[in-house]
Amino acid sequence: MIKTIESIGRSSINIFVTLRATLLLAAGIILRLFSRRAYNSASRMVFINQFYFTSVQILPLFLFVAVIFGTMVNGMAFQVIKNLGLTDYLGRLLMGFVVTEIAPFVTVLLIALRSGSAINAEIAVMKVNRELNTLKIFNIDVIDYLFVPRVMTGMLSMVLLSSLFSMTVLVTGIFISSAIFGTSVDDYTGILLKSASLPDIVIVLIKCATFGFFITLIPIIRGLNASEEELTSIPVAVLNGMVRVFIAIVIIEVLSSIIRFI
Amino acid sequence: MTNNTEFKVGLFIIITALLILASIGYVAYKKDVFSKTYVYTLSSTTGENITEGTPVVFWGFNIGQVSSMELTDSGVLVQIKIPERNNRVIRAGSRFVLEKPLLSSSRIIVYTDNLNGLPLQESAVPELTVSDDINELIKRGQSIAEKLDMITNNIASITGDMSDPQGDVKRILKNADKVTALLAEKNSLGEMLMGNDESVRSIEEIIKIALDIAERTEEITGRLEALTQEAGEQLYGGEGILTLVREILDELTVKLAKVEITLDNLNKTSAETVDATEDLSLLREDVDETVSAIRNLVDDLDRMIPFKAESEIKLP
Repeated sequence: MIKTIESIGRSSINIFVTLRATLLLAAGIILRLFSRRAYNSASRMVFINQFYFTSVQILPLFLFVAVIFGTMVNGMAFQVIKNLGLTDYLGRLLMGFVVTEIAPFVTVLLIALRSGSAINAEIAVMKVNRELNTLKIFNIDVIDYLFVPRVMTGMLSMVLLSSLFSMTVLVTGIFISSAIFGTSVDDYTGILLKSASLPDIVIVLIKCATFGFFITLIPIIRGLNASEEELTSIPVAVLNGMVRVFIAIVIIEVLSSIIRFI
Repeated sequence: MTNNTEFKVGLFIIITALLILASIGYVAYKKDVFSKTYVYTLSSTTGENITEGTPVVFWGFNIGQVSSMELTDSGVLVQIKIPERNNRVIRAGSRFVLEKPLLSSSRIIVYTDNLNGLPLQESAVPELTVSDDINELIKRGQSIAEKLDMITNNIASITGDMSDPQGDVKRILKNADKVTALLAEKNSLGEMLMGNDESVRSIEEIIKIALDIAERTEEITGRLEALTQEAGEQLYGGEGILTLVREILDELTVKLAKVEITLDNLNKTSAETVDATEDLSLLREDVDETVSAIRNLVDDLDRMIPFKAESEIKLP
């Protein structure tokens, strides 16, 4: 009985400590994002390399996925709408479902799988190799040098790539709607504009930035939790980090839906 | 490598950021975010079915929306925002009606009779009337329901009557059955038309008697012709048989004349019944033939026995 209570208490303390450390680190990174000192030449180089790896290198694959996905989703959605006679809801479906829900979700999955896992492994390796300690010895702020550029990259990449995904899907929709409904470009854009809402677009952009923040912050934190004595802690850290990233994605998705619809 | 990477990253960020900005700017422009908007205040007795964002519609086009609502002592003040490009339809004589469709969200309809009239002042507070479509529909529905109720009652009455063995429909069908059965019987036509079978029977008896008399008369005539030569005096005398026969025939002629009148009336009565008319015509023809035969017979008798002109009969 006492052991059970101790176990519950220990777990609660661990969760609290971890959460506190996470929140403190998140707060520190957020504060540094608005600090000019964080944007030095070294940080800028890290940012450019990380951004190149996260957004530019993935671009051909990302656009290919966007076109394929857009064609598939648009084709199915348009056909269903046509069969059900719900053509009035075409704009709402595209703007309310594809742009605000599907595009950020697909983008965050791609970036989390590719860049999030890489960041997690990189930080864990640096931790195991004690590179982080070395940087501290040289009085280099790891938050400014390592974390802020990556978090900044994650946020910016999410916003840009998600927007690109949405635009690709909507442009694909022009051809699909022309083929299925025979609508002109003007009619199609008119339908989209009718359903477009600036507050919704702002919420989507904020959601994308939040996604980007957490899919880089969580791998960084999990990477920092890797043990300095064991190389095997690296894959464990990556595994834990990716699971938490997925949980964070689901929670953010739910919260954003609550904010949008309530 | 670094320069190349920096260039690619910079190019990607610039192009994507421009695309995003252009898209948002286009949406904002089309949503009249950058254009001047006119704010008008409408007074309403209720804020029911009005929310922020309720569309303002003119000729089926959204020209603006409700921006805010305020509760006051005298009612509800509803502020609507109209973009500059749509403001030309808002005139001093414009009427604002809150429409509450049954199946969709409510909207404010603008009615402007004179589009060239004076523009509505932003300080003016026109009234927002309520078009209670739901209640009107309910009223219409009630009248329709009443009519449907009546129709249903009628149908129920008809079906009930049909199912009732003593009902009107059954009676009509029975009568129709009787009529058709009677019509099928040729002998009963006269009875149907005259209303009782006694008259018909009497007519038939008369006809039979007439036919019998005619036959007997023919027989008698034959005998008379045979006896004429032998016993002319006995036959042609004032108390003779032929005189008696003639009286009988005269009497018969009078009776048949009466029958003829009766048949004429019957013929008139049955003018609408084609079959009956045909049957009566046939009957009439039979009677006419009989009468004609009797008359011919009487004429023959007259010719052979000239009772009026000559008192003496010349024997052959």
